[in-house]
Amino acid sequence: MTRATGQAPKISLRDVGKQFTVRPSKDQPEGTTLTALEGITLDVAAGEFITLVGPSGSGKTTLLDLLAGLTRPDTGQVLVDGKEVTGPGRDRAVVFQQYALFPWRTAAANVAFGLEGPGSDGRRLSRKERTDKARHYLELVGLSGFEDRYPHELSGGMKQRVAIARSLAYEPDVLLMDEPFAALDAQTREQLQEELLRIWRSTGKTIIFITHGIDEAVYLGQRVAVLSSRPGRLKQIVDIDLGERSGDGDVRSDAVFVEHRHQVWSLLHDEVRKAQEAGHAKIRPDGSAPDEAPQLSKGQLSKGRAA
Amino acid sequence: MTAPTLTKDAAAPAAPAARAADAGRTAQPAGARHLPSLVRSSARRAGRGIWASGAILLFLLLWELGPTYLASPSTRVFLPPLHEVLRALGSLLAKGQLQNHLAASLTRSASGFGIAVVSAVALGLLVAWYRSLDRFLNPLLEVFRNTAALALLPVFTLLLGIGETSKISIVAYAAFFPVLLNTIAGVRTVDPLLIRAARSLGLSNFRLFQKVILPSAVPTIFTGIRMAGTSSILVLIAAEMVGAKAGLGYLIVNSQMSFLIPDMYAGILTVSLLGLLVNYLLVAVERHFSRWRTAVGSQSN
Repeated sequence: MTRATGQAPKISLRDVGKQFTVRPSKDQPEGTTLTALEGITLDVAAGEFITLVGPSGSGKTTLLDLLAGLTRPDTGQVLVDGKEVTGPGRDRAVVFQQYALFPWRTAAANVAFGLEGPGSDGRRLSRKERTDKARHYLELVGLSGFEDRYPHELSGGMKQRVAIARSLAYEPDVLLMDEPFAALDAQTREQLQEELLRIWRSTGKTIIFITHGIDEAVYLGQRVAVLSSRPGRLKQIVDIDLGERSGDGDVRSDAVFVEHRHQVWSLLHDEVRKAQEAGHAKIRPDGSAPDEAPQLSKGQLSKGRAA
Repeated sequence: MTAPTLTKDAAAPAAPAARAADAGRTAQPAGARHLPSLVRSSARRAGRGIWASGAILLFLLLWELGPTYLASPSTRVFLPPLHEVLRALGSLLAKGQLQNHLAASLTRSASGFGIAVVSAVALGLLVAWYRSLDRFLNPLLEVFRNTAALALLPVFTLLLGIGETSKISIVAYAAFFPVLLNTIAGVRTVDPLLIRAARSLGLSNFRLFQKVILPSAVPTIFTGIRMAGTSSILVLIAAEMVGAKAGLGYLIVNSQMSFLIPDMYAGILTVSLLGLLVNYLLVAVERHFSRWRTAVGSQSN
């Protein structure tokens, strides 16, 4: 809220809640409802980089789906530019953890995917304009010369770069990123974090970045929003101020960074413990959660933790 | 199958030795240094070629010599050596008979196959997209799929006569199900994440189908088409054997009944060559459309 003074927020969540109906199972023949999110209120200013952390099953991905317009909230409102989100739109782009590249398209064709069909002004881009744009955005993510490679010929880090280029190519205002670097090795991840900050500074996009890495959240975000365990509520928002980060210094071992990191860690720690005790796991796309069945209790859990 | 690995193993220790020898003679021009390895690789390729065609050559040799030296004279009549069959094939070609039969068979199988592919892909897409249609049609489709096409041949003949219609229909029937089932499977197995990604880009249902579901299902559909190609020829030959006035199946049966045994074998040989050719073409098309799905194995190099 503090940052939005003077101008309207880019994204505004007003008391947003989302429930899923759990399909009847052997253990629960009735079928129950599962509250994934409850009473989320959050404003994000234009050009802001906000990260979202929360324990497993706290509804991070659900929140992102709501912002993307892939699902609708049961209560409250999701506003972008003051208008309610009713479906997916070209003002928002999603970057997924598993890249979600189209394997039958080359890197350039993947980037051009969002450029096909009528644009926001109703005009169609010519083939040449599309390839030029694809080339430009591949260059922006550092993949010049890889235009004609198929996804199976690229490493994980390169695939995610292509996915980011594809999201940027149709020039959305908002980037929604769902644990985009979680599947990458530590070095590639750091490299891509660096690049993402560079792209953010040069393009001025509003970025909502979901992660389960505290370091990543503190390193990237101007603010870190901590979600509680299920049902997901906004526990606290931590303002991050790491000063100017233009140098090549090791920001992560800075005293300020460590302090912020510890603050987020403490907030998250209780929630992670609560989530573990309740045995929460990822909510599946169909709205069911494997942990909601009562049978799957202590015995199973301790086995899982021991492994 | 063990021989190629054996030759590879034998060549492997030789290579470092040769490289060490080259390193000793640094004055040697660069071109000459590549020569031994070039010769070796082409020799290996030739060896592999001979090994791969060995079984075929042996079989043809047995066909040529077996009837003359091993079989009794009465058997020889029913199993003429290869050169007699080839001579019969040559004269059938010279008289233009073989071309006529081939053309008749090809027209029938191509029309039946074409009808089957178009209708099966269309129905498959609908069935895969609309769950309720699937639940409604699936039991019936299962019944038809498990009814051998040849068992229905008398029905087709009774209802549609012995003309072209009945033959094209039965080919279409036989080719229909492999394409249908693979189309359904192909659409069903589209990665849901890709659909999510496309939806997040705001694609309409139609665009989603055209740009994500269809391309992703194409390799699976082509596997079905290849299977359909094989079965359409099989069923056609059988249909032509039962009642026809032209076609390769007719040629085979008619030659047998007229006691033109070499002609019969010439017909059989043509059928197998045609089958090979059709399969080869369909595999090439399938490979062209699934380039992006190249095996994970090629990645590790």
